[in-house]
Amino acid sequence: MDPLALSALALQEPWRLWTGHLAHFGWDHALANAVALAVPFLLACPPDRPRLILVLVLGAPLLSLLLLPGLGADQYRGASGLACALWALVGLRQAGRRDSASIGLMMLGGLALKLGAETVFGSSLLLHPEGWRTLPTAHHWGALLGLAFALPPWPRPRAA
Amino acid sequence: MKSMILSLIGALALIATGCATPETVQRRSSLMDYLYPKAKAAPTPNPAGARLKLPLRLGVAFVPGGSQSWRIQNLMAPGQEKQLLEVVKQSFKDKPWITEIKLIPSAYLRAGGGFENMDQVAGMYGVDVMALASVDQVQNTDPRWYSFTYLSIVGAYVLPGDANDTNTLIDAAVYDVASHTFLLRAPGQSRIKGSSTWAYRERQLREHSSLGLQAAMTDLAKNLDAEVAAFKAEIASGDRKDVDVVDRQGVSLRQSGGRNFGGGFGWIEAMAAALILGAALRMRRA
Repeated sequence: MDPLALSALALQEPWRLWTGHLAHFGWDHALANAVALAVPFLLACPPDRPRLILVLVLGAPLLSLLLLPGLGADQYRGASGLACALWALVGLRQAGRRDSASIGLMMLGGLALKLGAETVFGSSLLLHPEGWRTLPTAHHWGALLGLAFALPPWPRPRAA
Repeated sequence: MKSMILSLIGALALIATGCATPETVQRRSSLMDYLYPKAKAAPTPNPAGARLKLPLRLGVAFVPGGSQSWRIQNLMAPGQEKQLLEVVKQSFKDKPWITEIKLIPSAYLRAGGGFENMDQVAGMYGVDVMALASVDQVQNTDPRWYSFTYLSIVGAYVLPGDANDTNTLIDAAVYDVASHTFLLRAPGQSRIKGSSTWAYRERQLREHSSLGLQAAMTDLAKNLDAEVAAFKAEIASGDRKDVDVVDRQGVSLRQSGGRNFGGGFGWIEAMAAALILGAALRMRRA
């Protein structure tokens, strides 16, 4: 088994909780996920950027722990769960601001469309010819985590 | 007096010839001799193939060599067989696709017993798949140039004039018990070099034999892990048509895409994301 992929071994090899999101099934898989990760980073307002880092550092192992019970004997690789978290986080933060509400709604709408399509069309979209299968649970948990990280009112607005 | 001199010369000549000649000792057990003792042609594959249901119960055993069980051939010290099989057991004990690993003593395997014997033992231990390990160990002793000092008797006890090499190969072949389908194989090898005096040679060869088996078994456990991963990938991709694996939920590994899960944005989604980025940046400028 890949030494970096997320699997049940993560309970003995804890680095897998982070590296599972870095390992991929090929360059095309990694590149598409990199594009998905880059968009929220580019669109996030500067005050929100520490949250994005927080999601990458703390959200990654949390997401892995949420995925582990469903993996059984199998493995997971890919950053798209984290990408969904960032899309949800930045989308919600932007939607809460007057000047960027439309951008935020566009991001949340795009994310909802992706999750909806995966749920409705299921296996025809999820099975890849390279011999792996998209795990929609990772995207659902990722989006929920992103929303959770977006909620706390931090940094607190300073009194005028 | 004359007879004493003659016997001394004889003893020295015996030591000289005994010490200065390269020696090779080979110990081996063969999987083919065990499983196909009477077959002259290559075995035909089972057309039905194998269907393995996870988690598996695995049995591990050394196949007998020659006409006797492997342990009896003086290769392994009493208790070492279990210790060696324990190496494989330890490396697989945390694998979620294995529920149980049974160490089967070689004494239970008959020389040339074939699949009939394997079935009996597997039934007795209640295992689904059997990993059969065969061993090939060659020990070479080459005299060094100064081994002639053995003639002085003292030299035979003091100077390490023997170069001892121990090469060990352990091969594990895994079979499905129900269908007798060959699933996968993995090798483990080791090489141990040493020097000894003439007097200490046998003792060192015995020690190196034991160490060589231990090192080869550790190598085998590592390789077996990699081979299992490759085996799973072959089934998932459909390259192995004679074997299918069914997981706990009853889903075939072929249908589930190998249960290799990935978090993936497709290219269409990535392009849509880039479009959203472009639109957002444009809206910001406006």
